[in-house]
Amino acid sequence: MTDEAMPLAAAPGRKRRFAALRKDGSLFLLALPGVIALVLFAYLPMSGLILVFKNYNYNGGIFGSPWAGFDNFDFFFSSMDSAIRATRNTVMLNVLYMLTGTFFSVTIAIVLNELRSKWFLKAAQSIMFFPYFISWIVIGAILFSLLDFDKGLLNKLLLAVGLTPVDWYSHPWLFVVILVVSHIWKSAGYGAIIYYAVLQGIDSSYYEAARIDGASRMQLITRITLPMLIPSIILLTLLGIGGMLKGDLSMIMGVTFLNPLLLPTTDIIDVYVYRTAIRSGEFGFASAITLYQSVFGFLLVLIANKLAGWYDKDSKLF
Amino acid sequence: MNKTRAGISLALAAMTLLSACGNGGGNNDGGEAKGSGPASSPAASGAAGENAGGKLKPEKLKIVLYGDESNRMKELAKTEFNDIVKKEINAEIEFQFLPWTEYGGGKTDLMLSTGEDFATYTDTNYMVKSVAKGLYADLTPYMDGPAAADMKKTVDDNSFKAFQLNGKQYAVPVGNKPNSGEFYSALVRQDLLEEAGMQSVSSLAELEQFYDKVHAAHPELIGFAGTDARRMLMYEYTDKNLYWQNDFLAVDESAKDDKIISWFETPEFKAYAQIMRDWYKKDIIPKYAATNTPQLTSDWNSGKAMFWSGTAARPFEGAAAISQAVPTAKLENDFLSRDLPKISRGTYSTAWFVSANSPDPERYVLFFNLLQKNQELYDLFAYGIKDKDYTLDENGRLARLTTDSLVPDWLLMNKNFMRFDKTVSEDFIQKYKAWDDDAIISKTAGFNFDNAPVKNEETKINGVFSEFLVPIASGFVDYDAYFPKALDKLKAAGFDKYMAEYQKQFSAWYAAKNG
Amino acid sequence: MAIRENKTLIVLFYIGISLFALVCLVPFALAVAGSLSTESKLAAEGYSFLPRGFTFDTYRFMFGSKAEQIVHGYLISVVATALGTACSVLVTTAYAYVITAKGFRFRNHFAFLAYFTMLFSGGTLPWYILCTKYYHLDDTLAGLFLPYLLNVFLMYLQANYFKSIPHEIVESAQMDGAGHMLVFFRIMLPLGQVGLVTISLFYALQFWNDFYLPLMLVSDEKLFTIQYMMYYMMSNIQYLASGNSAQISGVTVAPPLETAKMAMTCLTVLPIAILYPFLQRYFVRGIIVGSVKG
Repeated sequence: MTDEAMPLAAAPGRKRRFAALRKDGSLFLLALPGVIALVLFAYLPMSGLILVFKNYNYNGGIFGSPWAGFDNFDFFFSSMDSAIRATRNTVMLNVLYMLTGTFFSVTIAIVLNELRSKWFLKAAQSIMFFPYFISWIVIGAILFSLLDFDKGLLNKLLLAVGLTPVDWYSHPWLFVVILVVSHIWKSAGYGAIIYYAVLQGIDSSYYEAARIDGASRMQLITRITLPMLIPSIILLTLLGIGGMLKGDLSMIMGVTFLNPLLLPTTDIIDVYVYRTAIRSGEFGFASAITLYQSVFGFLLVLIANKLAGWYDKDSKLF
Repeated sequence: MNKTRAGISLALAAMTLLSACGNGGGNNDGGEAKGSGPASSPAASGAAGENAGGKLKPEKLKIVLYGDESNRMKELAKTEFNDIVKKEINAEIEFQFLPWTEYGGGKTDLMLSTGEDFATYTDTNYMVKSVAKGLYADLTPYMDGPAAADMKKTVDDNSFKAFQLNGKQYAVPVGNKPNSGEFYSALVRQDLLEEAGMQSVSSLAELEQFYDKVHAAHPELIGFAGTDARRMLMYEYTDKNLYWQNDFLAVDESAKDDKIISWFETPEFKAYAQIMRDWYKKDIIPKYAATNTPQLTSDWNSGKAMFWSGTAARPFEGAAAISQAVPTAKLENDFLSRDLPKISRGTYSTAWFVSANSPDPERYVLFFNLLQKNQELYDLFAYGIKDKDYTLDENGRLARLTTDSLVPDWLLMNKNFMRFDKTVSEDFIQKYKAWDDDAIISKTAGFNFDNAPVKNEETKINGVFSEFLVPIASGFVDYDAYFPKALDKLKAAGFDKYMAEYQKQFSAWYAAKNG
Repeated sequence: MAIRENKTLIVLFYIGISLFALVCLVPFALAVAGSLSTESKLAAEGYSFLPRGFTFDTYRFMFGSKAEQIVHGYLISVVATALGTACSVLVTTAYAYVITAKGFRFRNHFAFLAYFTMLFSGGTLPWYILCTKYYHLDDTLAGLFLPYLLNVFLMYLQANYFKSIPHEIVESAQMDGAGHMLVFFRIMLPLGQVGLVTISLFYALQFWNDFYLPLMLVSDEKLFTIQYMMYYMMSNIQYLASGNSAQISGVTVAPPLETAKMAMTCLTVLPIAILYPFLQRYFVRGIIVGSVKG
């Protein structure tokens, strides 16, 4: 909004632009490979967005197929209660993931930053990454062996101490907790490494100066470490907000097995679309809803980006 | 805001760029398809029909199959399979294997949409959708010619009709095996049954008695290894001979009318749901069935279940897996009543289609024909090379020397050619071959519903089905408490419109057929 | 006083991280033990830290006659991961430098250009048409990484790391007449090393874990990655067990091997999890040395 937003068409600008080009030319060159990758693999395929408003057939192809208007959105928005529930579940889970995920990642990163044992740090970092590799199918299988009604470990424990076993897979709200915990488990290590890398870049002179002033360890954390992480937290949150309406189908499938009794809280948009459009082979319907998720996320990000700009111009995404 | 606008205009520019070149590509593809489509081919079919490989110009064929490609299949595809196809129809054959998840969608769809030249198999659902999008080649011109002559003899005529739309043949059936009464029988573990002092089950009461007895002796076993027993139990809750079109609709094969029945709204469904509820409470269906359905099949295969729904071939198809875990396992099909005729949808396993853009669909038809032409070729494609991949004893019983599967045998399975291994009793083979003798072909066989007018409704009711109706139908929840709400949801999703459309199309088709 | 407070806190920190690491390890240990159990015992008794009825059957089943292909799959995975990570890291850091270049009038335009693709995509069909018909990436090694060359999320991460490098360093270099190229290669890359390590790790994971590109673009077995082979096997098992196959009558259902799931996890996770910490250092050093020379 400031220096770089100078009026492009100003008359004396031409000469200046030329000079700027010479100075910035190498920047264009540096960006070029990335731009090519974006154009080839993201922007050119985006022509497919037209398909959302079309009834695809082979002879017409992407551009020649007949227009369908908003027909492909109908199945979703004409049963409003399902649409609202799916949207609510998606946003609810994403907000919970974001809050808990950020909290745990940041905490772990800060704690790691206080430790000095090199081998311990290295081992801890590697191990925290493990869950990120394990597919949701496997996590689901392991959870199942914990929560199964007859043979599950948890119910065996309950029986052993004289309590009645619980049918875990019939409590939708309990599964919100299970999903959130699984998410923390799977991604907190990943997030922590992002934040920890930021902390490693901090000049140690900041800490020394503060220590000389007599700051305690807790004070160092709250006055230096945490503020250093704020821009990264903002960045990751902004990036997360764009995906606010997108859900992870493979996660829900893996962890809940799409158990119908759990759908009241686990029927996120992607699950709903899977159960309806994809199961019926209506892939056009499915892409229409993807566009809905994108547009909604985009609007949210525009707002969030503006807010971030007020806080600190430098932390805006674009 | 300035920046945003600039970004969007850039994006638009990029899209225009593509639309320029994309359009060109699209038109080209369309052009090719038109130029070489079936319309221009009948003339060629005469020449091809003589079936001497030498007279045909060389051609390349690509067959897509799903599942795991075995090493032996890989070898044979390059050697003997290729040689024989070359000799017979002068074509080079290539097999491409894809993961099962790409069946009827996924990469198969993409390959079709980009106009790749290949053939693979399909079902009627996927066929109707794909034909509407123009993805399948019309194979009608080659059906009455010599190209399909041999398989016309070895594959049932009704099977061909099942893959016709508006009188046009869009897919060619493969396989010819007894399969009437699919899932209408109880496939029981005969060894357990006998252990419990019983010989067979012929009613619900006996089935439950079987469970009780075995459960007392082996509490670790589950009862029913599935969640859908509506066919198996049909004899118990109705006198009609119901035949389901999909999850929602059925017809009564005993009645000579064109009435489509809304399954969930019948008193029969209520009775059925109550039996299932009972089973769930009694643990005949385990608690985990609501969650981990794959585990049920897994339990069945490892010998941890007492009964399942049966098909003609399941007693020997499934025996191999179970006998690994329980060597003494024996399987037997029992019907809960034998008063009603078994219903057959046709004897095919599946059907081949050819992509719309294929320059020479006829050659594919020739290849499909080859697969089911005679015993010699069938043996080669299904079992491999004699004495190297399999041996035959004096009774013609098969012993395979490799576990590698070739062209999947469930797909080819043709009663004229198929071979049994030594473990299958002569008695069973007789029963198997006579399985279809008392069967009737469904009055709906050959009817294919065009869902285009009710796509939205169909999609939405599928959502209601998986959330609200499955739990009731499988006994996870109580009918009386949950059904009214489920029915409301179903109606709100437009079920009545869907049903009316289905009835309309079916009545018209039925009248035309019988008129 | 201050010292004692610090000590208890530090001990608590060690304990906390150790606990979390343990929690991360548990399912992995279960998976290893599960993969070494017999299928029937696993089904009957559930998971434990010790294999139930110790056996290598599952691995024997999976490797079977395919040992050679599996080794080849690893090789392709390693090559695709190494090439992909090297190329991506260069493209990504360069782009990240551009959107953080102070005073560059178009930097936000470039940032937006990248961000937009994070949200909007045209779906698989046009992507597939372009990749196969126009770029001819099908059945090529390049097809295993080129489409994922620029991960916008990681690009923003890298930009974030660049932002934390004090601007004065760049300014003084520019005073001395250094252009953007020089500043990027000689100053930003070496100084942004921590970021580089991080995003190269993430890229390596992305390429290692990917099965989508081989699924879409590869039909030639010689280019199958290990992850795709595992996905292939798993998807067959899942599909056949899901009941979708009911439409294709008569498919004999392969037993869904619980132990196979676990073995697959071990086969794909173990190598990179164990090797990466060792390789990482050389890898990052390689990129920096390479770029400084280049």
